[in-house]
Amino acid sequence: MSPLTLHDYLAVGAILFGLGMVGFLARRNLIIMFLSAEMMLQGVALNLTAFARYRGNLQGQAFVLFLLTVAACEAAIALALILMLFRRNRSLDVSLWQELREDDQPPNLDEEPLPPAPEPEPLPQLTPAGHEPVHAEPSHEEASHV
Amino acid sequence: MFEDPRILWFIPGLPLLASVVTAFLGPRLLRDKSHWPCVLAVIASCALAIGVFASVSSGFQGLHTSYTWFQTGDVDIGVSLRVDGLTAVMLVTVTFIGSWIAIYSIGYMHGDPGYPRYFAEISLFVFAMTGLVLADNFVLLYAFWEGVGLCSYLLVGYYFAKPSAAAAARKAFLVTRLGDVGLLIGILLIYTALGPSLDYESVMPRGQHASPGVLCAVCLLLFTGAVGKSAQFPLHVWLPDAMEGPSPVSALIHAATMVTAGVYLVARCTPLFGFSPSAQLVVACIGGFTAFLAALIALTQTDLKRVLAYSTISQLGYMFLALGSGTSHEYLAGIAVAAAIFHLFTHAFFKALLFLAAGSVMHAMGGVIDMRRIGGLRKVMPTTHWTFLCGAGALSGFPIIFSGFWSKDEILAVAFKAGQPGSFANSIYILLFLLGLVTAGLTAFYTFRAYFLTFWGPERVPPEAGHHAHESPPVMLVPLMVLAAGAVFAGILLGPTGIFEHFLEVHWMQAAFPRLLPATEHHGNLPLMVASSLFALGGIGLAWWLYVRRPALAREMAQALPGAYELSKNKFYLDEIFAALVVRPLAGLAHFLRVFDQYIVDSFVDLTAHAPRWLGHLLRPVQNGLVQFYALLMVLGLAGFLLSVLMR
Repeated sequence: MSPLTLHDYLAVGAILFGLGMVGFLARRNLIIMFLSAEMMLQGVALNLTAFARYRGNLQGQAFVLFLLTVAACEAAIALALILMLFRRNRSLDVSLWQELREDDQPPNLDEEPLPPAPEPEPLPQLTPAGHEPVHAEPSHEEASHV
Repeated sequence: MFEDPRILWFIPGLPLLASVVTAFLGPRLLRDKSHWPCVLAVIASCALAIGVFASVSSGFQGLHTSYTWFQTGDVDIGVSLRVDGLTAVMLVTVTFIGSWIAIYSIGYMHGDPGYPRYFAEISLFVFAMTGLVLADNFVLLYAFWEGVGLCSYLLVGYYFAKPSAAAAARKAFLVTRLGDVGLLIGILLIYTALGPSLDYESVMPRGQHASPGVLCAVCLLLFTGAVGKSAQFPLHVWLPDAMEGPSPVSALIHAATMVTAGVYLVARCTPLFGFSPSAQLVVACIGGFTAFLAALIALTQTDLKRVLAYSTISQLGYMFLALGSGTSHEYLAGIAVAAAIFHLFTHAFFKALLFLAAGSVMHAMGGVIDMRRIGGLRKVMPTTHWTFLCGAGALSGFPIIFSGFWSKDEILAVAFKAGQPGSFANSIYILLFLLGLVTAGLTAFYTFRAYFLTFWGPERVPPEAGHHAHESPPVMLVPLMVLAAGAVFAGILLGPTGIFEHFLEVHWMQAAFPRLLPATEHHGNLPLMVASSLFALGGIGLAWWLYVRRPALAREMAQALPGAYELSKNKFYLDEIFAALVVRPLAGLAHFLRVFDQYIVDSFVDLTAHAPRWLGHLLRPVQNGLVQFYALLMVLGLAGFLLSVLMR
């Protein structure tokens, strides 16, 4: 088996980038889109390390270190944003944020809307024993902090 | 007395300071005391002016440049003041008359809501005029010239809430602007033809070496400015309307600060005019014709102040007649300019006096100045009556006693000498002399017509005056008395003794234009004096006959000559002619341009505004809020970019 050449690394990088791009364009779930974007980033990072190895210097490596740092920060921010968006709409569907378009543009409506999300399966609970104590109904605010 | 020319800065400086102080502190702090800065500053500058005058008469010729205003090419325009005989005379006239007018205003304007504004503007007016006569170059002169115009606009439109006052102010400003354009072009022509410099000292001596055509053009353009400012035909129409301002303002404009500027300018430029006989002929013709025309109009006016306004125009015409008669061939320039400035000096006294007296009448009559509604006031207002009589005597040139006689006589003598056989255009000058003589008779007639109508006959007091028409307070009467004394004695003290002429000749003319001065002295012309006296007395007698002895006769005469009467009463329809020839075509053009602007120019402007909007409209669907769509565009863009890189 021949040793891995630069082309192999570049091919993997390109595949990662392509998958990420297709995922970003095709999926509407914010988290999946984010993950796809990360995947594209990793494809690029792989390219950089491969080139660095091939050229025999460390510039690409250093670049990748920065890239990872930035990606970490970006992940934190992106997840925070996604959390906030989810709280507002109770959904991760990115097409619900269409109102950020120009005022006079018509909305793009789904011809076949997504099926409603299935109810989460109830967790198994132990049968309460004895007399149930009186407890306050959890408020809406607290529930939303889940 | 004064050695340091820096003292000159205080003469315009103090009124300017007073104006600023009154403008900022007046409405809040000074209120009823707003007159103090103005009165004190103008009196102080009058004292300084008299001091400067005394120093000039002992040989002081000051020039002080404070700093270079601007420098362009090889010419420096400095903010510099200078004083010589002519400036000293003008300074004393302006500040002395101005002081008394300011004092009079304390009484006249008492209780007016715009009291501080009035005094701030009066001070500014005195500042501008003193600066004008002190300026050492044409650019600075022009700046102050415009300052004078601005102040006249502000003061004529003092009662700006009254539409007629606002219109009069606008008219005064625009009509004098017409002349100012000529002045500006004249100054620029001086720079190119007589330059490259604009201060008097280097420009004036070049006049005699310039080509006659260019020099004539320069003189006529300068004279255009004077025509506008000094209200000569055909730009005289603003002055009668300027009556809309308060009476002391009229006194100031007519006597001291505004209309004398034109006479001063032409007198100052005598070294140029003296070598251009054709320009002088134009000056003399305009002057003589204006004097005659204004006198004709004044014959039938019923508004006392309007009569006085036309008399001012007429008297200024006399001054220009004198200035234009100083032809170089006869070495008349010296006596001609001296006569004009002497008349300016005496006229300042009696015209200020007449206007202040008319203001006193107006004050007592509750604002009514129409001579058909007032009459017989000599018992009601004795002091105003006799001071007005002094002014009227001086204006009509009553022989020997009054100042106007001496100065007007000198002008007629100059015109007569210019008409001696053998000199340049002598037949025209002799015609102008005769016109001047007739005008003297007309002047005496209309002046005393106004006097008799106002102060003689049955006592008539309009209802606006209230129950007790009364004499004005002392603060108004003292200035009247002082000016009356000046109107009477200034002539006989300075005229026959020749002091005035001598002063101007020694301290100004000998340095400024020695080549235009005669080798021999000129003396008064006795037959001429007798003739002008006869005309004056005849006019006064005729007025007495028509308006005191036979009051009905005047009306019959007006009815017998309806055409002439209407022509004079309607000011020869000059306002209407100007309206038809100038105002209406310009208004039509303005209307056309407005339509052109609104529909054609504006549509181009709108087009440039709409184009980005249409472009934005085309691109707007891109912004549809779909994140995937944006991402797709980015990917396509990247693909396009890569393709273009790879295919290259």
